[in-house]
Amino acid sequence: MALKVQLFVTCLIDGMFPEVGVATTRVLERAGCEVDYDVRQTCCGQPAFNVGLFEDAARLARKFVDEYSSTTGPIVVPSGSCADMIIHHMADLLDDAEGVVKGVTSRVVELTSFLVDQLGNPALGAVCAARAVYHPSCHGLRNLGLSYQPKALLDQVEGLELVEIEGASDCCGFGGLFSIEFGEVSAAILDAKLDRIEAAGPAVIVGGDVSCLLHIEGGLKKRALPIEVSHISQILAGQ
Amino acid sequence: MSRISSLPSESLDFRSRARALLGSEEAAAIRLGTDRFAALRRQAEGEYPPMEKMRARAGDIRRHTVAHLGHYVSRFVENLEAVGGVAHIASGAEEACAIIGGLVGARGSVVVKSKSMLTEEIDLNQRLEASGHRVVETDLGEFIVQLAGGSPSHLIAPAIHMNRAQIGRLFADRLQAPYTDDPIVLNEIARAYLREIFLAADVGISGANFGVAATGSIVTVTNEGNGRFITTAPRVHIAVLGIERLVPSFSEMAVLLEVLARSATGQRLSVYTNIVTGPRLPGEPDGPEELHVVLVDNGRSNLLGGVFEEALSCIRCGACLNVCPVYREVGGHGYGSVYSGPIGAVISPLLFGEDAFGELAYASTLCGACLEACPVGIDLPRMLIAQRRREALAGKIPGPAASLARRYSSLATRPSRFERLWRLARLATWPLARGGFISWLPGPGRAWTDHHVLRRPARRSFRRTQGDRQ
Amino acid sequence: MKLDELLTVLPVSVPGPSPGLLVPDLGHTDLVGLFAERLREVDGTDHGPMPLSAAGDIVLSIFAEAGVDRYLGWDDPGVPGIHDRLARAGIRRTEAWVPKEPASRMAHQSAYATVAGGLTGADFGLAESGSIVLRSGAGRARLASIVPLVHIAILPVRRLVRSLVHYAADHPAAPTGLSNLVVVTGPSRTGDIEQQLNLGVHGPRHLHVVLVN
Repeated sequence: MALKVQLFVTCLIDGMFPEVGVATTRVLERAGCEVDYDVRQTCCGQPAFNVGLFEDAARLARKFVDEYSSTTGPIVVPSGSCADMIIHHMADLLDDAEGVVKGVTSRVVELTSFLVDQLGNPALGAVCAARAVYHPSCHGLRNLGLSYQPKALLDQVEGLELVEIEGASDCCGFGGLFSIEFGEVSAAILDAKLDRIEAAGPAVIVGGDVSCLLHIEGGLKKRALPIEVSHISQILAGQ
Repeated sequence: MSRISSLPSESLDFRSRARALLGSEEAAAIRLGTDRFAALRRQAEGEYPPMEKMRARAGDIRRHTVAHLGHYVSRFVENLEAVGGVAHIASGAEEACAIIGGLVGARGSVVVKSKSMLTEEIDLNQRLEASGHRVVETDLGEFIVQLAGGSPSHLIAPAIHMNRAQIGRLFADRLQAPYTDDPIVLNEIARAYLREIFLAADVGISGANFGVAATGSIVTVTNEGNGRFITTAPRVHIAVLGIERLVPSFSEMAVLLEVLARSATGQRLSVYTNIVTGPRLPGEPDGPEELHVVLVDNGRSNLLGGVFEEALSCIRCGACLNVCPVYREVGGHGYGSVYSGPIGAVISPLLFGEDAFGELAYASTLCGACLEACPVGIDLPRMLIAQRRREALAGKIPGPAASLARRYSSLATRPSRFERLWRLARLATWPLARGGFISWLPGPGRAWTDHHVLRRPARRSFRRTQGDRQ
Repeated sequence: MKLDELLTVLPVSVPGPSPGLLVPDLGHTDLVGLFAERLREVDGTDHGPMPLSAAGDIVLSIFAEAGVDRYLGWDDPGVPGIHDRLARAGIRRTEAWVPKEPASRMAHQSAYATVAGGLTGADFGLAESGSIVLRSGAGRARLASIVPLVHIAILPVRRLVRSLVHYAADHPAAPTGLSNLVVVTGPSRTGDIEQQLNLGVHGPRHLHVVLVN
């Protein structure tokens, strides 16, 4: 009996990185899950929340809770920052007298945590012959404790050469709208990270959050470096 | 006046200050310094196995003290007076300066000072000098910065932005010393110059890292020894202490001390942990004849009883500065406040006014490295978001972020509209894209494309892909 | 502002017990060995442990080698007869009692500027950090460990404790009854010029701890 999970794919993956949504689905199915996707989903509200627009974020929080309250089981999110938003902040935005909100948000789990902590890191048969650097996105790493799960998953990928860089867990400088509000500072922070990445000579930067990857990719291409970015689900799907 | 005003571009705007500092020599020096301190901290924590437990206890002690601050302030004053010290209470900067000015007394006094953020906050030096006193900063870095007429750029390393040649030239000009850029000789020049001043000064003014409520003691923590000189040699010692900088007992202070130096500079303890309890006792051969402690509020009480209360637990170690990716690029001067970095971004608007400093809450990626490094566990990211909410309610979100976030979120409430947004974005970028990437966007988009390429929105959103899957 | 006024804006309820001291188990029972190692790490110099009778020679040789001709000292640094011994060797003890009258005070202290030696006891040693604890009191000048270039402290081995919090556990009222309790961890230092280490900025450049049995 396959475990039924809801996939909350996140807005950036929806509009900019749909291939990551496809890869995530594939990985979950390979891990023995039946993946359900509610087409009404859009955004967790983090962009609004992070600039202080709590009411705007609350509307999206209400929408999220309404969409998932009639389902059960894990709600898997292939993004540390979105999962963090839902798990740690959504309930505070809404009136939750009956505990319905907490009932939904407590089912939310980030993808790598789901695969390792809940499913025990099942064999996925992933193959990827490449030299890679892993970028642990800040929210996932520090707020969700995702310090070992991505490594545990990548360890099982045949042919993957993981390279450690100095300052691996330093912020990439994206910070959501920070990258536009204070773009020069954001770019300076990214520059420091790109220097270290360049020195390590990988073929691909792997990460758990496409928000960071969007920013890192943007910088890599500006420097015309032959380095790609990839979400961890894509590596695990053997793509 | 708590603003730093010695910048090439004197501006009240973070963006402008940052622009002036990014890529500068000063910024490079800041980066070296902060990376070094951060590495030293990690090393010290790594080789002290109980660090996590001690940090947790340290946080509990500080939060407890702040939650019962009135009680501990009363106990501190009572016990200070019992050992012959004199307590003074200042509600704000003006009053603090007036009290201290009164204690320093007649014109022409020589006042030696050790490093104190609080005295900078209340602009004490300027006030005392205006009253005709000579104020000499004695922390080597602060001494250098004072001679140069500038301002400190880092909590723990104030002259981090100056190199040896600059310092050599400064000493040659201002101290009539032969020019040298050898740090050892420069050190010797400063030592010889300052010790004569220490030994003959009328008044010593220090900050204090902590006040101990149970004993009425004040504690200063230094590496150079100037803190000991200042609290011992002059006849009058004035200690300036923020009301929140208390701990209940000596034992609990010891817990704080075990995490303070490790977090700040990677040392197990600073060279001099100096605990002063009242003035010179009868029978003691030396020490000040008078001890005054000026307790200063200056807006701290405003933080009590809400989400920002925890910020009062801060022990001013600088660990958050040393791990902040934003601080690393712009240094202290970027924040335009006496208090910089993550803690500065939180407390500056609350102490000194939202108009000038409210936007600092946005000068952060919310990466959480500060919370991870803080020896007393202050949830700075949570407070930054709370401050952003206040800014948002006042309509002060910087740049185009407010309208972008609002419009985006509004469209996201309806899946059909959201889908349309992506399709339009895809279409609109068609003329701008090459090989799926965009190198130039007009208007607010420039903030992105000046520094990155932007991937084009997908041909088919995941939602549409799912539709096909069915 | 009066205290009462300030208290109107502060929480004044009497708290329950405060969180209290936490003394971790740090292991490591060779306190002497650890203390010496840690003192050296902070650029201090350890001597001994040695019998008390040998300490006088060490003090004399340290001062002689450093060219110290005058020193500030505690009345009883813990080595019987040391002041006479040093005097016979031409190393003079400076009067450490500071007059109370302001002008005399300044004159007296100004003369300290060129006193190169300091000789004190040490009330406790902290092995974890290589620190010594000095308490002020009658015959125990504070300036003796601040002013000089060369500071010698005599530390009885039995006074070693594991760390600062261990010391606090044994002496919860340590600061009471004296105007100054100082924990000294190595000689004075700064990194303020280009982050390069310099010793002896304002305080002593050389810290010698003589461990005695």
